[in-house]
Amino acid sequence: MMLALFLFTTPITAVTNQAHSAMKPPEDHRACLRCHAMKTLAYRDPLSKKIITLVIDPSGFEHSVHGQLNCRECHEQHYQRYPHSERARAPLHCVKCHEDGKKQAQHQSNHQPPRQYQFTTIEQEFKRSVHATSDEPDAQDFNCHSCHNPHQFQRSQIGKPLAQVVRDDNAICLSCHEQRFDSLETTHAWLPRRDKHWQAVRCLECHTPLSTTGQPVSHQILAAADSKVDCVNCHSQDAQLLTRLYQYRSQEDVARTGFIAKAVFNDAYIIGMSRSPIIDFIGLLMIALTALVLIGHGWGRYRAAQQLSRGSQ
Amino acid sequence: MMTGLYLYARWLRVWHWLNALLFMVLIVSGVSMHFGGSALLMPFNTAVTVHNTAGILLSVTWLGFMIGNAVTTNKRHYRVTWRGLPQRLFAQMRYYGYGIFHNAPHPFHVTADMKLNTLQQLSYLGVMYGLMPILVMSGWAFLFSTFLPDTLFGIGSVWFVAMIHLTVAYGLALFLLVHSYIITTGDTLTSNLRAMITGWHPFTPPLERSFDHAAETIPPKTADQRS
Repeated sequence: MMLALFLFTTPITAVTNQAHSAMKPPEDHRACLRCHAMKTLAYRDPLSKKIITLVIDPSGFEHSVHGQLNCRECHEQHYQRYPHSERARAPLHCVKCHEDGKKQAQHQSNHQPPRQYQFTTIEQEFKRSVHATSDEPDAQDFNCHSCHNPHQFQRSQIGKPLAQVVRDDNAICLSCHEQRFDSLETTHAWLPRRDKHWQAVRCLECHTPLSTTGQPVSHQILAAADSKVDCVNCHSQDAQLLTRLYQYRSQEDVARTGFIAKAVFNDAYIIGMSRSPIIDFIGLLMIALTALVLIGHGWGRYRAAQQLSRGSQ
Repeated sequence: MMTGLYLYARWLRVWHWLNALLFMVLIVSGVSMHFGGSALLMPFNTAVTVHNTAGILLSVTWLGFMIGNAVTTNKRHYRVTWRGLPQRLFAQMRYYGYGIFHNAPHPFHVTADMKLNTLQQLSYLGVMYGLMPILVMSGWAFLFSTFLPDTLFGIGSVWFVAMIHLTVAYGLALFLLVHSYIITTGDTLTSNLRAMITGWHPFTPPLERSFDHAAETIPPKTADQRS
C-alpha cells in the first residue's frame, strides 16, 4: 500500500519532472478520460452518504509522477469494461507496485534519482500513525489516497517558493481538519504567533516524530497529545529537528534564488535557532561585568586625574 | 613641542572604520535576529537581510586586511617578540590595573617599528587571525549549511555552526567594548581616536612629558609614510 507519499519528499531528493511532462501521455488514457474527465462524474457512497468524485483532471494527471503510466497498469482487470465490476471498488495498494523489484529496477533504468522513501518503511510508519490507529469514524478506511491523490501527485519541485510548499502540504491536512479555520479553535492557542507558524511551517514538523530511518519525514502522524508543543524543539536545542528544518529551507533558498541571493535574502533562519541559554547567559554576563569594570576603571581614572590636578595647584 | 608618527596608512584607516561600521551593524542586526520580537530591535526580516549583507562585506574587508597586512610593512607590527613577553604583558596589565591611577609612565613607547603594546598585539592577533576567520567561516557555513554533513562531531551541523558563531560573536562584542574604552587611555582621551582618523600618532618629546619616557628617535616623514 501507500502510493503517492512522495509529497513528503523534501527538495533534497526532488527532481523536476520536465522530462516527464515533455513526453506524450499513453494512448489508453483517452478511453478512460472520456468519462473521467467529465467534471460532474461522481456517486454517493451508500454507507457514508458522501459524494465521491471520480473526476480526473487530464492536465494534472499528465504532469503527475504517474502521468506516463497506462491507466490499466494500476487499474487492472476489473476496469476493462463499463460498467466496471463491483470488485473495482477495492482500494489499490501502493506498495504492491513501489516495492516490486522489477518496477524499482525500471525506475532506476529511467535515470530517476534513488528514492529517499522506501514504501515498506512508510507502510510500517503509517500503521503506527493516528490515522491508522484511531477509532474515530472519520479515520476509518484511511489509506494513502486519503492524503495523496495519485492522479495529481507531483514531487516537490526545486525552486518552488517555500511559502507555497508549506501551503500545499498543509492544504492536505486542512482538507479534513477544517476545524483549524475556526477562529475559536483552541488546540493551537499555546503557539505564539499561531498564524505566522502556519504560514511558515508544515503541520508535519510538529505532528510527526523525528525519522530514525534516514527518510526526511516520518509518515507516523502523531495524535495531538503526542505532538511537539515545545518551542525549543525547533527554536534551539534539538539539533536533529533544527537541522531538518533549516536544511530543508536552505536547500530551497539556494535552488530558487541562486547562491548570491541566497546569501543575502535567505529564508532559512528561524528566530531563536542560535539561542543557547548557557552561552547567552555567560556571554551577556561577561559583557555586563566588563562594562561595569570599565565604568569603574573610568571613574577611577577621573578621580586620579582630579587628585593630580589638585596636587599640582 | 608636539610632533607625531605616521602609523596608520590610508588603506588601514579606511579598513578600520569600515570594519567598525560593519561590526556595529552586525551586532545590532545579529541581536535583532537572535532575540527577535522586541519593538526596540530591527524587524526580523530586515535584520536577516542586513546581517547577511554586512557579513558578506565583513568577509571582504577581512580579506582586504589580510592582503593589506601581507603586502605592506604593516605586518611588522604583528610579529611577536617572544623574548620577555610575559614581563611586558605583566607590565602592561599592571599599568592598566594600577599605574594608570597613579600617573605612572606608560610601560610601552610607540615607535614607527612597533605601534602596538604586547597586550594590544596579542589581542589584535587573536581577533584578526583567530576569531574573525572563525566568525566569517561559520557565517558562510550558516548560509550554505546544506553543503555540510548532517552532523559534526556527533551533533547536528547547523546547531554546531550556530553555537560557534554565537560564542565567537560574544567574544568579539566583548573585544569591541574593551577596545572602545582602551583607546581613551592615550596621552589624552581622544588622541588615539584622532590618530586612527588622521593617521598621525601624537608624540610628545620626553622633556615635555609629565613622566619620564625613554627618548625615542622621531623618524623623518617620508613620502612613503604619507601615502
